[in-house]
Amino acid sequence: MRSSQLVSAAAIVLVSGAIAAAQIHDHLAAPSASAASTAATSPAATSPAATSPAATSADAQSAPARIGIRFAGSSFTVSGWKPPPTAPQGGWSAVFAVYASVAAAPGASPTPVTPGLPALLGSYAIEHGALVFRPRFPLAAGMQYRAVFTPPRAPAISGVFYGPPRDVTPSTRVLHIYPSAAVLPSNTLRLYIYFSAPMSRGEAAAYVHVLDAHGHVLHEVFLPGEELWDPQFTQLTLTFDPGRIKRGLTSNERMGPPIAPGARYTLVIERGWPDARGVPLVAGASKVYRGGPALRTPPDPHQWRVGAPAAGARGPVTVDFPHPMNYPLLQRMLRVTGPHGSVAGSIGIGHDETRWSFTPRRAWPAGRYQLIVDRDLEDVAGNRIDQPFDIDVFQRVTEHIVTRTLAVPFEVR
Amino acid sequence: MRRATLYRITGAVVGAAALISGAAYARISNNPLNTLATGDAHLMSAGPLAFGPDGILFVGDSIGGQVMAIDTHDRRPASAAKVDVQDINAKIAAMVGITPDQLVINDVKVNPISKNVYLSVSRGRGPDAMPLIVRVERGSDRISVLPLDDVAHAAVQLSDAPASASAADPPNGRPSSRMLTITDMVYVKGDLMVAGLSNEEWSSALRSIPFPFQRTAAQGATIQIWHSSHGRFETQAPIRTFVPYDIDGRNYVLAAYTCTPLVKIPFSELHPGARIHGTEIADLGAGNQPLDMVPYRRNGHDYILINNTSRGVMKLQADDLGAYKPISAPTITNVAGVPYQTISDLQNVRHLARLDAQDVLILTGKSSGPPWQAGPLIGPVNLQTIPLP
Repeated sequence: MRSSQLVSAAAIVLVSGAIAAAQIHDHLAAPSASAASTAATSPAATSPAATSPAATSADAQSAPARIGIRFAGSSFTVSGWKPPPTAPQGGWSAVFAVYASVAAAPGASPTPVTPGLPALLGSYAIEHGALVFRPRFPLAAGMQYRAVFTPPRAPAISGVFYGPPRDVTPSTRVLHIYPSAAVLPSNTLRLYIYFSAPMSRGEAAAYVHVLDAHGHVLHEVFLPGEELWDPQFTQLTLTFDPGRIKRGLTSNERMGPPIAPGARYTLVIERGWPDARGVPLVAGASKVYRGGPALRTPPDPHQWRVGAPAAGARGPVTVDFPHPMNYPLLQRMLRVTGPHGSVAGSIGIGHDETRWSFTPRRAWPAGRYQLIVDRDLEDVAGNRIDQPFDIDVFQRVTEHIVTRTLAVPFEVR
Repeated sequence: MRRATLYRITGAVVGAAALISGAAYARISNNPLNTLATGDAHLMSAGPLAFGPDGILFVGDSIGGQVMAIDTHDRRPASAAKVDVQDINAKIAAMVGITPDQLVINDVKVNPISKNVYLSVSRGRGPDAMPLIVRVERGSDRISVLPLDDVAHAAVQLSDAPASASAADPPNGRPSSRMLTITDMVYVKGDLMVAGLSNEEWSSALRSIPFPFQRTAAQGATIQIWHSSHGRFETQAPIRTFVPYDIDGRNYVLAAYTCTPLVKIPFSELHPGARIHGTEIADLGAGNQPLDMVPYRRNGHDYILINNTSRGVMKLQADDLGAYKPISAPTITNVAGVPYQTISDLQNVRHLARLDAQDVLILTGKSSGPPWQAGPLIGPVNLQTIPLP
């Protein structure tokens, strides 16, 4: 989210017979104890100021008191004006409103209020004899806030304030793209992109492309619609259009699979992709892959090679698969149990997702162990244990879910 | 339109009823508002919306892994009125103090009682974006943001953590990366049905959650639905959007899948834990995802209006859906099955919401890039009512 911490500094716009209404331009990032003194001493008070002859004139005649708009903590305050005991007709917002807009570039004139756009939501209060407006939502980085005070029977005055400056330094990187292999089955179902920091949602389609061997952008490769992120928005799932993967479907027949056996592709991630702060990546990324034969055989744990560790040491148990498996699922769909229940340790995944290893926290006691496999574990083509991604209907589909796990025994000696 | 009648997952109800006495259950059931507690409705995100009884709004919270029921206190009956709010994203953004490009409108629904319009909105695009529920008053452009810090609400967790939650540390020390992205919700006489997409597994789980909520939905019904696709091969796939519908006096769910088949599934077969077969009655084309479905009846005929990520708005001829034979062979065309026409006048429709028998609510906005890409929205986003085509 782009919203920032509350701006805690202060500035003031003063109006009196002698001092014209000023528009103060300053990034209010540094805390300040005294609003009034800040206004008197801040360079902002002398920064580009737009006089309001009407306001000066009106105040000079009818309001010799100093009227100003101050921002401190998280509230905007009209100082030097004694509000009536009850809100005027139309509410306090009729006399005092704050308008948010994107901040102009440094040195440029403030952004004017856009006609037709409503004011910032917030609440009003009379505190210490002054009208105070508190925005309902935190002030956001890179935003401008124009506070407009329209006293009864007098011209409006306004003050311009700024949220903290936006951090525009790129720092987010692409860490990895899975599957890792250079050859992907033609029915590969999903790609995973891992980032070093949270990303923005809803931007992927503009920044991820697949190019053919000639560098042409390919169309309709991935499923459009919702972007599938993890809760931290650091892992994006891209699903190859299943209509082009499933045998017998119209698009599979018409367009072929999104990965043709033997063909060469490049997945391109553009640098401009904004992270959660709205800042582009440090660098773009790419992955070159070739199409391999389709993977239609569901994973069969009987074909996995389990390398049992030695007793009395902390060497890993390893499991080698004949085909690459789904990376994130390998992290949570395999576990080890032993004579004393679940074994604590850490998982490793390597060899282009064809090897899973597990290193225990404590040395292995000798005994019989089991690798517990969740049946929902998928290979890179979405085939599950005992269940291919698409099924020949001449095979009977199990009518009810059976046990969710199966066990592969191994012995530690 | 013939809406579906009562559908209830027997097992889940039996489980819920076992927790409390029959008399108390009946009382709570009759007064769902009494089951809501007042306080901070802690949403982590606001996605799909659905209205339940008495102006209760269900909010799908994918990041929070929950569905929140919120009392909108909006239950004064009113007739539908035109809505036309141009540039609604810029207006909401100005109210909450961000730029329009940082505002995402996730769903739009109409309160069937008051006819006021509700939007779920993200203030920001990152994981800590602030969820908002926005109301547009019927027949006006008055916009307000519902306070969520002191509101009657109830939540149900969609906790279906993997069975093999392990004692192992993940290889990179990261917390769980699994997330169920809720794609659609429908309330049908006592049950909230929830469809979603996992970012890691390919599944077709459709949840049915009795309301008032009882603990977590993990103990509720999870149904795996298979659909035959073009004869020989069949597959399991996530449902993207769905609607209850009666065909020839039988209750069905019409479900549109991520790979665009439209499938009918009999309610009678939706039992907890069941793996059942749906029948494909239309294929809406490749490179596309259906987004919303609005059934309606006009001049004695039934229709379903469907908007899509890439293939515009379709008007499906829904008379005699039972008469169409299942698609049984690959067809080398973009579309197949039940006939429909694409409404060329309706472009860039991001959301459809039922308003009344005459009008439908649309949220429109252009996206960057070509249609198949369905990129981020650019330019103004408008909310308006239009006559049903």
